[in-house]
Amino acid sequence: MANVLDLRRRIRSVRNTRQITKAMKMVSAAKLRRAQERAVAARPYAAMLASVLESLKRRAEIYDPETGEVRHPLLLTRPEKRILLVVVSGDKGFAGAFNTNIFKAAASFIAENNGKEIDIEAIGRKGRDLFRRRYPAAQFAEAVDEERRPERQRGSAIEVVGEQTGVLEKLNYERVRELAEEIISWYTHEEVDAAYLVYNEFKSVIQQRVVVERVLPILSLRVHEVEKAEEPTIEERERAAEAALSAGVSLYPHEAEAAQRQFEDEVRNFGTAEVDYIYEQSPQEIFADVLPRYVTSQLYHATLESVAAEHAARMTAMDSATNNASDMIDSLTLTMNRVRQAAITKEIIEIVSGAAAI
Amino acid sequence: MAGLLKIRLVTPDRILVDQTADAVEVPAKTGYVEVLYGHAPLLAEIGAGEVRLHGGEAGHQRYSVARGFVEVLPDRVTILAETAQRPEEIDTAAARQQLEHGEKLWNEAGEDPEKYDHANEVMAEARAKLDSAEAKSS
Repeated sequence: MANVLDLRRRIRSVRNTRQITKAMKMVSAAKLRRAQERAVAARPYAAMLASVLESLKRRAEIYDPETGEVRHPLLLTRPEKRILLVVVSGDKGFAGAFNTNIFKAAASFIAENNGKEIDIEAIGRKGRDLFRRRYPAAQFAEAVDEERRPERQRGSAIEVVGEQTGVLEKLNYERVRELAEEIISWYTHEEVDAAYLVYNEFKSVIQQRVVVERVLPILSLRVHEVEKAEEPTIEERERAAEAALSAGVSLYPHEAEAAQRQFEDEVRNFGTAEVDYIYEQSPQEIFADVLPRYVTSQLYHATLESVAAEHAARMTAMDSATNNASDMIDSLTLTMNRVRQAAITKEIIEIVSGAAAI
Repeated sequence: MAGLLKIRLVTPDRILVDQTADAVEVPAKTGYVEVLYGHAPLLAEIGAGEVRLHGGEAGHQRYSVARGFVEVLPDRVTILAETAQRPEEIDTAAARQQLEHGEKLWNEAGEDPEKYDHANEVMAEARAKLDSAEAKSS
Protein backbone atom coordinates (compact mmCIF):
# COMPACT_ATOMS: atom_id res chain seq x y z
CA MET A 1 0.00 0.00 0.00
CA ALA A 2 1.16 3.49 -0.85
CA ASN A 3 2.37 5.55 2.01
CA VAL A 4 0.75 8.64 3.40
CA LEU A 5 3.24 11.04 1.91
CA ASP A 6 2.70 9.78 -1.64
CA LEU A 7 -1.03 10.01 -1.27
CA ARG A 8 -0.82 13.51 0.08
CA ARG A 9 1.26 14.50 -2.91
CA ARG A 10 -1.23 13.03 -5.33
CA ILE A 11 -4.10 14.81 -3.63
CA ARG A 12 -2.27 18.09 -3.93
CA SER A 13 -1.67 17.52 -7.64
CA VAL A 14 -5.29 16.62 -8.31
CA ARG A 15 -6.38 19.67 -6.36
CA ASN A 16 -4.21 21.86 -8.57
CA THR A 17 -5.72 20.31 -11.66
CA ARG A 18 -9.17 20.96 -10.28
CA GLN A 19 -8.29 24.58 -9.75
CA ILE A 20 -7.26 24.89 -13.38
CA THR A 21 -10.29 23.16 -14.80
CA LYS A 22 -12.52 25.25 -12.60
CA ALA A 23 -10.89 28.43 -13.84
CA MET A 24 -11.21 27.28 -17.43
CA LYS A 25 -14.84 26.57 -16.87
CA MET A 26 -15.51 30.03 -15.53
CA VAL A 27 -13.57 31.64 -18.36
CA SER A 28 -15.51 29.63 -20.91
CA ALA A 29 -18.76 30.62 -19.25
CA ALA A 30 -17.85 34.29 -19.53
CA LYS A 31 -16.77 33.89 -23.14
CA LEU A 32 -19.89 31.94 -23.89
CA ARG A 33 -22.06 34.74 -22.61
CA ARG A 34 -20.31 37.20 -24.86
CA ALA A 35 -20.45 34.87 -27.86
CA GLN A 36 -24.13 34.32 -27.23
CA GLU A 37 -24.80 38.03 -27.22
CA ARG A 38 -22.95 38.45 -30.47
CA ALA A 39 -24.84 35.62 -32.08
CA VAL A 40 -28.15 37.16 -31.06
CA ALA A 41 -27.08 40.64 -32.15
CA ALA A 42 -26.15 39.33 -35.56
CA ARG A 43 -29.55 37.89 -36.26
CA PRO A 44 -31.44 40.98 -37.45
CA TYR A 45 -28.98 41.62 -40.24
CA ALA A 46 -29.16 38.08 -41.54
CA ALA A 47 -32.93 38.00 -41.30
CA MET A 48 -33.30 41.33 -43.07
CA LEU A 49 -30.99 40.26 -45.83
CA ALA A 50 -33.00 37.13 -46.38
CA SER A 51 -36.30 38.97 -46.51
CA VAL A 52 -35.03 41.56 -48.94
CA LEU A 53 -33.84 38.78 -51.19
CA GLU A 54 -37.13 37.02 -50.84
CA SER A 55 -39.02 40.12 -51.92
CA LEU A 56 -36.62 40.86 -54.71
CA LYS A 57 -36.87 37.35 -55.94
CA ARG A 58 -40.49 37.92 -56.80
CA ARG A 59 -39.75 41.07 -58.69
CA ALA A 60 -36.43 40.30 -60.25
CA GLU A 61 -36.84 37.87 -63.08
CA ILE A 62 -34.33 35.36 -62.05
CA TYR A 63 -35.35 33.01 -64.79
CA ASP A 64 -34.75 34.04 -68.32
CA PRO A 65 -38.23 34.29 -69.84
CA GLU A 66 -37.12 32.91 -73.17
CA THR A 67 -34.84 30.04 -72.34
CA GLY A 68 -36.07 29.36 -68.84
CA GLU A 69 -32.53 29.37 -67.56
CA VAL A 70 -31.42 30.83 -64.30
CA ARG A 71 -29.76 34.15 -64.79
CA HIS A 72 -27.63 34.44 -61.73
CA PRO A 73 -24.56 32.24 -61.54
CA LEU A 74 -24.99 31.58 -57.83
CA LEU A 75 -28.39 30.02 -58.39
CA LEU A 76 -27.19 27.66 -61.08
CA THR A 77 -27.01 24.02 -60.22
CA ARG A 78 -24.51 21.78 -61.84
CA PRO A 79 -23.90 18.11 -61.35
CA GLU A 80 -21.77 17.86 -58.24
CA LYS A 81 -18.44 16.60 -59.35
CA ARG A 82 -16.26 18.76 -57.25
CA ILE A 83 -17.40 19.79 -53.83
CA LEU A 84 -16.02 22.37 -51.50
CA LEU A 85 -16.39 21.44 -47.88
CA VAL A 86 -15.91 24.19 -45.34
CA VAL A 87 -15.27 22.73 -41.92
CA VAL A 88 -15.63 25.04 -38.95
CA SER A 89 -13.84 23.56 -35.96
CA GLY A 90 -12.27 25.10 -32.89
CA ASP A 91 -8.88 26.66 -32.45
CA LYS A 92 -8.23 24.90 -29.18
CA GLY A 93 -8.89 21.59 -27.58
CA PHE A 94 -10.22 20.80 -24.11
CA ALA A 95 -13.74 21.09 -25.34
CA GLY A 96 -14.99 17.57 -24.91
CA ALA A 97 -16.37 16.02 -28.06
CA PHE A 98 -16.73 19.35 -29.83
CA ASN A 99 -14.01 18.87 -32.42
CA THR A 100 -14.47 15.13 -32.65
CA ASN A 101 -18.12 15.52 -33.57
CA ILE A 102 -17.27 17.95 -36.32
CA PHE A 103 -14.66 15.62 -37.75
CA LYS A 104 -17.01 12.68 -37.58
CA ALA A 105 -19.63 14.60 -39.52
CA ALA A 106 -17.04 15.74 -42.05
CA ALA A 107 -15.66 12.24 -42.44
CA SER A 108 -19.08 10.72 -43.00
CA PHE A 109 -19.84 13.44 -45.54
CA ILE A 110 -16.65 12.61 -47.37
CA ALA A 111 -17.44 8.91 -47.24
CA GLU A 112 -20.91 9.50 -48.64
CA ASN A 113 -19.52 11.46 -51.53
CA ASN A 114 -17.04 8.83 -52.43
CA GLY A 115 -15.76 9.16 -55.97
CA LYS A 116 -16.25 12.89 -56.16
CA GLU A 117 -13.49 15.36 -55.82
CA ILE A 118 -13.62 17.17 -52.55
CA ASP A 119 -11.78 20.32 -51.61
CA ILE A 120 -11.52 21.07 -47.94
CA GLU A 121 -11.32 24.53 -46.48
CA ALA A 122 -10.56 24.33 -42.78
CA ILE A 123 -11.53 27.08 -40.42
CA GLY A 124 -9.97 26.67 -37.01
CA ARG A 125 -6.63 25.26 -35.98
CA LYS A 126 -7.86 21.86 -34.88
CA GLY A 127 -9.47 21.17 -38.21
CA ARG A 128 -6.44 22.27 -40.09
CA ASP A 129 -4.17 19.98 -38.12
CA LEU A 130 -6.36 16.97 -38.70
CA PHE A 131 -6.98 17.44 -42.39
CA ARG A 132 -3.39 18.28 -43.06
CA ARG A 133 -2.31 15.01 -41.59
CA ARG A 134 -4.88 13.12 -43.54
CA TYR A 135 -5.00 14.72 -46.96
CA PRO A 136 -2.45 16.38 -49.18
CA ALA A 137 -2.54 20.12 -49.72
CA ALA A 138 -3.64 21.39 -53.08
CA GLN A 139 -0.82 22.12 -55.46
CA PHE A 140 -1.03 25.07 -57.74
CA ALA A 141 1.26 25.47 -60.70
CA GLU A 142 3.29 28.64 -60.91
CA ALA A 143 1.27 31.36 -62.48
CA VAL A 144 2.57 31.56 -66.02
CA ASP A 145 0.72 34.56 -67.25
CA GLU A 146 -0.91 37.18 -65.13
CA GLU A 147 -4.40 37.06 -66.41
CA ARG A 148 -5.23 33.44 -65.97
CA ARG A 149 -5.62 31.88 -62.62
CA PRO A 150 -2.86 29.50 -61.65
CA GLU A 151 -3.63 26.05 -62.85
CA ARG A 152 -4.42 23.40 -60.35
CA GLN A 153 -2.62 20.10 -60.34
CA ARG A 154 -4.79 17.62 -58.65
CA GLY A 155 -2.91 14.81 -57.01
CA SER A 156 -5.66 13.07 -55.14
CA ALA A 157 -9.43 13.16 -54.92
CA ILE A 158 -9.48 14.91 -51.58
CA GLU A 159 -7.30 17.90 -50.99
CA VAL A 160 -7.01 20.72 -48.54
CA VAL A 161 -7.32 23.98 -50.42
CA GLY A 162 -7.11 26.47 -47.65
CA GLU A 163 -6.96 27.06 -43.98
CA GLN A 164 -8.06 29.88 -41.76
CA THR A 165 -6.64 29.96 -38.32
CA GLY A 166 -7.11 32.66 -35.79
CA VAL A 167 -10.34 33.76 -37.45
CA LEU A 168 -12.41 32.41 -34.62
CA GLU A 169 -10.42 34.00 -31.87
CA LYS A 170 -11.20 37.52 -32.96
CA LEU A 171 -14.12 37.10 -35.21
CA ASN A 172 -14.63 39.93 -37.60
CA TYR A 173 -16.82 40.31 -40.58
CA GLU A 174 -14.07 41.42 -42.91
CA ARG A 175 -12.15 38.16 -42.75
CA VAL A 176 -15.25 36.11 -43.22
CA ARG A 177 -16.22 38.26 -46.18
CA GLU A 178 -12.88 37.69 -47.84
CA LEU A 179 -13.29 33.97 -47.47
CA ALA A 180 -16.84 34.08 -48.77
CA GLU A 181 -15.77 36.08 -51.78
CA GLU A 182 -13.12 33.52 -52.50
CA ILE A 183 -15.64 30.71 -52.32
CA ILE A 184 -18.02 32.61 -54.57
CA SER A 185 -15.32 33.20 -57.11
CA TRP A 186 -14.46 29.50 -57.12
CA TYR A 187 -18.04 28.71 -57.71
CA THR A 188 -18.61 31.21 -60.49
CA HIS A 189 -15.44 30.09 -62.23
CA GLU A 190 -16.75 26.55 -62.02
CA GLU A 191 -13.85 25.35 -59.99
CA VAL A 192 -16.29 23.81 -57.57
CA ASP A 193 -19.84 22.68 -58.26
CA ALA A 194 -21.22 23.01 -54.76
CA ALA A 195 -20.17 24.27 -51.38
CA TYR A 196 -21.14 22.74 -48.09
CA LEU A 197 -20.57 23.91 -44.58
CA VAL A 198 -20.04 21.70 -41.52
CA TYR A 199 -20.35 23.42 -38.19
CA ASN A 200 -21.72 23.21 -34.70
CA GLU A 201 -25.01 24.96 -34.46
CA PHE A 202 -25.74 26.66 -31.19
CA LYS A 203 -29.37 26.96 -30.23
CA SER A 204 -28.91 27.15 -26.51
CA VAL A 205 -26.49 25.79 -23.97
CA ILE A 206 -28.25 22.46 -23.93
CA GLN A 207 -29.17 22.38 -27.57
CA GLN A 208 -26.33 22.09 -29.94
CA ARG A 209 -26.00 20.00 -33.00
CA VAL A 210 -23.59 19.35 -35.78
CA VAL A 211 -25.07 20.36 -39.09
CA VAL A 212 -24.05 19.95 -42.68
CA GLU A 213 -25.48 22.80 -44.69
CA ARG A 214 -25.42 23.66 -48.35
CA VAL A 215 -24.22 27.18 -49.09
CA LEU A 216 -23.95 27.09 -52.84
CA PRO A 217 -25.83 26.83 -55.10
CA ILE A 218 -28.56 28.78 -53.36
CA LEU A 219 -31.77 26.88 -53.85
CA SER A 220 -34.05 28.45 -51.31
CA LEU A 221 -33.64 31.56 -49.29
CA ARG A 222 -34.32 32.08 -45.65
CA VAL A 223 -34.42 28.37 -44.94
CA HIS A 224 -31.07 26.97 -44.05
CA GLU A 225 -30.51 24.02 -46.24
CA VAL A 226 -29.55 21.51 -43.68
CA GLU A 227 -28.44 18.28 -45.20
CA LYS A 228 -27.93 16.40 -42.06
CA ALA A 229 -27.93 17.12 -38.38
CA GLU A 230 -26.85 15.27 -35.35
CA GLU A 231 -28.61 15.97 -32.10
CA PRO A 232 -26.97 15.46 -28.73
CA THR A 233 -28.21 12.66 -26.53
CA ILE A 234 -30.33 13.31 -23.46
CA GLU A 235 -27.49 12.52 -21.10
CA GLU A 236 -25.27 14.99 -22.85
CA ARG A 237 -27.94 17.62 -22.50
CA GLU A 238 -28.37 16.98 -18.82
CA ARG A 239 -24.67 17.23 -18.36
CA ALA A 240 -24.59 20.56 -20.16
CA ALA A 241 -27.52 21.88 -18.17
CA GLU A 242 -25.79 21.02 -14.93
CA ALA A 243 -22.62 22.72 -16.04
CA ALA A 244 -24.46 25.84 -17.11
CA LEU A 245 -26.27 26.02 -13.82
CA SER A 246 -23.11 25.85 -11.77
CA ALA A 247 -21.39 28.43 -13.94
CA GLY A 248 -24.28 30.83 -13.67
CA VAL A 249 -25.17 30.87 -17.34
CA SER A 250 -28.87 31.05 -17.97
CA LEU A 251 -30.10 28.18 -20.06
CA TYR A 252 -32.66 30.09 -21.97
CA PRO A 253 -31.57 33.62 -22.71
CA HIS A 254 -35.18 34.46 -23.39
CA GLU A 255 -35.24 37.71 -21.49
CA ALA A 256 -32.93 39.21 -24.04
CA GLU A 257 -34.79 37.54 -26.82
CA ALA A 258 -38.23 38.84 -25.98
CA ALA A 259 -37.26 42.29 -27.15
CA GLN A 260 -35.54 40.77 -30.11
CA ARG A 261 -38.56 38.79 -31.14
CA GLN A 262 -40.78 41.78 -31.54
CA PHE A 263 -38.08 43.30 -33.63
CA GLU A 264 -37.67 40.18 -35.66
CA ASP A 265 -41.29 40.24 -36.65
CA GLU A 266 -40.72 43.63 -38.11
CA VAL A 267 -37.56 42.37 -39.68
CA ARG A 268 -39.40 39.62 -41.41
CA ASN A 269 -41.48 42.22 -43.15
CA PHE A 270 -38.45 44.22 -44.10
CA GLY A 271 -38.45 44.92 -47.78
CA THR A 272 -41.61 42.91 -48.31
CA ALA A 273 -44.18 45.63 -47.77
CA GLU A 274 -46.91 45.45 -50.33
CA VAL A 275 -45.97 48.64 -52.01
CA ASP A 276 -44.31 49.41 -55.26
CA TYR A 277 -40.82 50.36 -54.47
CA ILE A 278 -38.89 52.76 -56.55
CA TYR A 279 -35.75 50.92 -57.41
CA GLU A 280 -32.65 52.94 -57.82
CA GLN A 281 -31.12 50.14 -59.75
CA SER A 282 -33.10 47.49 -61.49
CA PRO A 283 -34.29 44.74 -59.17
CA GLN A 284 -32.09 42.28 -61.00
CA GLU A 285 -29.05 44.34 -60.32
CA ILE A 286 -29.77 44.69 -56.65
CA PHE A 287 -30.58 41.02 -56.44
CA ALA A 288 -27.29 40.10 -58.04
CA ASP A 289 -25.42 42.31 -55.61
CA VAL A 290 -27.21 41.07 -52.57
CA LEU A 291 -26.83 37.36 -53.27
CA PRO A 292 -23.10 37.19 -52.49
CA ARG A 293 -23.80 39.07 -49.27
CA TYR A 294 -26.26 36.42 -48.36
CA VAL A 295 -23.57 33.78 -48.70
CA THR A 296 -21.25 35.85 -46.53
CA SER A 297 -23.88 36.29 -43.90
CA GLN A 298 -24.49 32.56 -43.82
CA LEU A 299 -20.82 31.91 -43.33
CA TYR A 300 -20.59 34.56 -40.65
CA HIS A 301 -23.56 33.09 -38.91
CA ALA A 302 -21.93 29.66 -38.94
CA THR A 303 -18.70 30.94 -37.41
CA LEU A 304 -20.52 32.90 -34.72
CA GLU A 305 -22.58 29.88 -33.77
CA SER A 306 -19.58 27.64 -33.81
CA VAL A 307 -17.69 29.93 -31.45
CA ALA A 308 -20.58 29.98 -29.01
CA ALA A 309 -20.94 26.22 -29.26
CA GLU A 310 -17.24 25.74 -28.66
CA HIS A 311 -17.33 27.73 -25.46
CA ALA A 312 -20.41 25.90 -24.31
CA ALA A 313 -18.77 22.56 -25.04
CA ARG A 314 -15.64 23.59 -23.21
CA MET A 315 -17.63 24.77 -20.24
CA THR A 316 -19.42 21.44 -20.02
CA ALA A 317 -16.23 19.46 -20.45
CA MET A 318 -14.42 21.47 -17.81
CA ASP A 319 -17.31 21.11 -15.43
CA SER A 320 -17.11 17.34 -15.82
CA ALA A 321 -13.37 17.48 -15.28
CA THR A 322 -13.83 19.52 -12.12
CA ASN A 323 -16.38 17.05 -10.79
CA ASN A 324 -14.15 14.12 -11.61
CA ALA A 325 -11.26 15.78 -9.83
CA SER A 326 -13.41 16.32 -6.76
CA ASP A 327 -14.43 12.65 -6.76
CA MET A 328 -10.82 11.64 -7.08
CA ILE A 329 -9.77 13.87 -4.21
CA ASP A 330 -12.50 12.32 -2.05
CA SER A 331 -11.46 8.79 -2.78
CA LEU A 332 -7.78 9.56 -2.37
CA THR A 333 -8.42 11.30 0.95
CA LEU A 334 -10.34 8.25 2.12
CA THR A 335 -7.49 5.94 1.18
CA MET A 336 -4.99 8.24 2.78
CA ASN A 337 -6.89 8.31 6.05
CA ARG A 338 -7.20 4.57 5.99
CA VAL A 339 -3.50 4.11 5.43
CA ARG A 340 -2.67 6.54 8.21
CA GLN A 341 -5.10 4.84 10.55
CA ALA A 342 -3.64 1.43 9.69
CA ALA A 343 -0.14 2.69 10.44
CA ILE A 344 -1.24 4.06 13.81
CA THR A 345 -3.06 0.84 14.71
CA LYS A 346 -0.02 -1.16 13.74
CA GLU A 347 2.22 0.94 15.95
CA ILE A 348 -0.13 0.62 18.93
CA ILE A 349 -0.25 -3.14 18.49
CA GLU A 350 3.53 -3.23 18.39
CA ILE A 351 3.84 -1.15 21.55
CA VAL A 352 1.18 -3.15 23.37
CA SER A 353 2.61 -6.52 22.38
CA GLY A 354 6.09 -5.26 23.22
CA ALA A 355 4.89 -4.22 26.68
CA ALA A 356 3.11 -7.54 27.15
CA ALA A 357 6.28 -9.43 26.32
CA ILE A 358 8.20 -7.87 29.18
CA MET B 1 -45.59 69.31 -39.12
CA ALA B 2 -44.69 66.01 -40.57
CA GLY B 3 -43.94 63.10 -38.30
CA LEU B 4 -40.60 61.69 -37.45
CA LEU B 5 -38.76 59.06 -39.38
CA LYS B 6 -37.68 55.91 -37.62
CA ILE B 7 -34.12 55.24 -38.57
CA ARG B 8 -32.34 51.96 -38.21
CA LEU B 9 -28.78 51.27 -39.12
CA VAL B 10 -28.02 47.58 -38.99
CA THR B 11 -24.63 45.95 -39.37
CA PRO B 12 -23.77 42.26 -39.29
CA ASP B 13 -22.62 42.67 -35.70
CA ARG B 14 -25.44 44.65 -34.20
CA ILE B 15 -28.12 47.26 -34.58
CA LEU B 16 -26.09 50.42 -34.47
CA VAL B 17 -28.82 53.03 -34.58
CA ASP B 18 -32.46 52.74 -33.68
CA GLN B 19 -33.74 56.27 -33.33
CA THR B 20 -36.03 58.85 -34.82
CA ALA B 21 -34.91 61.75 -36.96
CA ASP B 22 -36.34 64.51 -39.13
CA ALA B 23 -34.24 63.67 -42.13
CA VAL B 24 -31.56 61.28 -43.19
CA GLU B 25 -29.03 61.42 -45.98
CA VAL B 26 -28.05 58.14 -47.51
CA PRO B 27 -25.19 57.50 -49.93
CA ALA B 28 -26.99 55.53 -52.63
CA LYS B 29 -24.78 54.10 -55.28
CA THR B 30 -25.77 56.72 -57.81
CA GLY B 31 -25.50 59.66 -55.42
CA TYR B 32 -26.72 60.95 -52.09
CA VAL B 33 -30.41 60.75 -51.34
CA GLU B 34 -32.03 62.80 -48.63
CA VAL B 35 -35.10 61.24 -47.16
CA LEU B 36 -37.79 63.17 -45.32
CA TYR B 37 -40.96 61.95 -43.72
CA GLY B 38 -43.41 60.61 -46.27
CA HIS B 39 -40.88 59.64 -48.88
CA ALA B 40 -42.08 57.17 -51.47
CA PRO B 41 -40.97 53.59 -50.88
CA LEU B 42 -37.52 53.09 -52.23
CA LEU B 43 -35.01 50.33 -52.32
CA ALA B 44 -31.47 51.12 -53.28
CA GLU B 45 -27.96 49.91 -52.91
CA ILE B 46 -25.58 52.10 -51.02
CA GLY B 47 -22.03 52.81 -51.94
CA ALA B 48 -19.23 54.02 -49.75
CA GLY B 49 -20.11 57.26 -48.03
CA GLU B 50 -21.76 58.82 -45.03
CA VAL B 51 -25.15 58.34 -43.52
CA ARG B 52 -26.20 61.61 -41.89
CA LEU B 53 -29.04 61.88 -39.46
CA HIS B 54 -30.63 65.23 -38.72
CA GLY B 55 -32.99 66.36 -36.02
CA GLY B 56 -35.31 64.32 -33.84
CA GLU B 57 -33.93 62.05 -31.18
CA ALA B 58 -30.79 61.51 -33.18
CA GLY B 59 -29.73 65.14 -33.18
CA HIS B 60 -26.93 65.36 -35.63
CA GLN B 61 -25.01 62.18 -36.31
CA ARG B 62 -22.81 60.85 -39.01
CA TYR B 63 -21.72 57.33 -39.82
CA SER B 64 -19.29 56.19 -42.44
CA VAL B 65 -20.78 53.20 -44.19
CA ALA B 66 -19.94 50.91 -47.07
CA ARG B 67 -21.53 48.06 -48.94
CA GLY B 68 -25.17 47.59 -48.22
CA PHE B 69 -28.59 48.78 -49.14
CA VAL B 70 -31.39 50.88 -47.84
CA GLU B 71 -35.12 50.46 -47.66
CA VAL B 72 -37.24 53.57 -47.41
CA LEU B 73 -40.86 53.45 -46.33
CA PRO B 74 -42.90 56.57 -45.66
CA ASP B 75 -42.26 56.49 -41.94
CA ARG B 76 -39.22 54.32 -41.69
CA VAL B 77 -35.74 54.03 -43.09
CA THR B 78 -33.69 50.92 -42.65
CA ILE B 79 -30.10 50.84 -43.69
CA LEU B 80 -28.18 47.61 -43.90
CA ALA B 81 -24.47 48.07 -44.20
CA GLU B 82 -21.59 45.67 -43.94
CA THR B 83 -19.46 48.27 -42.26
CA ALA B 84 -20.56 51.31 -40.33
CA GLN B 85 -18.43 53.51 -38.13
CA ARG B 86 -18.66 56.83 -36.43
CA PRO B 87 -16.19 59.32 -37.90
CA GLU B 88 -14.18 59.42 -34.69
CA GLU B 89 -13.81 55.65 -34.76
CA ILE B 90 -12.16 55.62 -38.14
CA ASP B 91 -8.59 54.50 -38.19
CA THR B 92 -7.11 56.98 -40.66
CA ALA B 93 -3.83 55.12 -40.92
CA ALA B 94 -5.64 51.94 -41.86
CA ALA B 95 -7.80 53.83 -44.33
CA ARG B 96 -4.74 55.34 -45.95
CA GLN B 97 -3.22 51.92 -46.21
CA GLN B 98 -6.37 50.67 -47.81
CA LEU B 99 -6.20 53.49 -50.33
CA GLU B 100 -2.65 52.57 -51.22
CA HIS B 101 -3.64 48.95 -51.50
CA GLY B 102 -6.47 49.97 -53.82
CA GLU B 103 -4.12 52.01 -55.96
CA LYS B 104 -1.79 49.06 -56.18
CA LEU B 105 -4.63 46.81 -57.25
CA TRP B 106 -5.66 49.39 -59.81
CA ASN B 107 -2.19 49.53 -61.30
CA GLU B 108 -1.93 45.78 -61.41
CA ALA B 109 -5.38 45.16 -62.77
CA GLY B 110 -4.15 44.78 -66.34
CA GLU B 111 -7.10 44.34 -68.63
CA ASP B 112 -9.39 42.48 -66.32
CA PRO B 113 -12.52 44.60 -65.81
CA GLU B 114 -13.45 42.65 -62.68
CA LYS B 115 -10.19 43.61 -61.04
CA TYR B 116 -10.67 47.24 -61.99
CA ASP B 117 -14.07 47.27 -60.41
CA HIS B 118 -12.72 45.70 -57.29
CA ALA B 119 -9.84 48.18 -57.10
CA ASN B 120 -12.19 51.08 -57.61
CA GLU B 121 -14.42 49.84 -54.86
CA VAL B 122 -11.54 49.49 -52.45
CA MET B 123 -10.36 52.99 -53.22
CA ALA B 124 -13.80 54.52 -52.97
CA GLU B 125 -14.28 52.98 -49.55
CA ALA B 126 -10.95 54.25 -48.32
CA ARG B 127 -11.62 57.74 -49.66
CA ALA B 128 -15.03 57.89 -48.07
CA LYS B 129 -13.52 56.92 -44.73
CA LEU B 130 -10.79 59.52 -44.99
CA ASP B 131 -13.23 62.21 -46.04
CA SER B 132 -15.54 61.69 -43.13
CA ALA B 133 -12.65 61.48 -40.70
CA GLU B 134 -11.32 64.80 -41.96
CA ALA B 135 -14.70 66.47 -41.91
CA LYS B 136 -14.78 65.80 -38.18
CA SER B 137 -11.47 67.45 -37.43
CA SER B 138 -12.13 70.57 -39.51
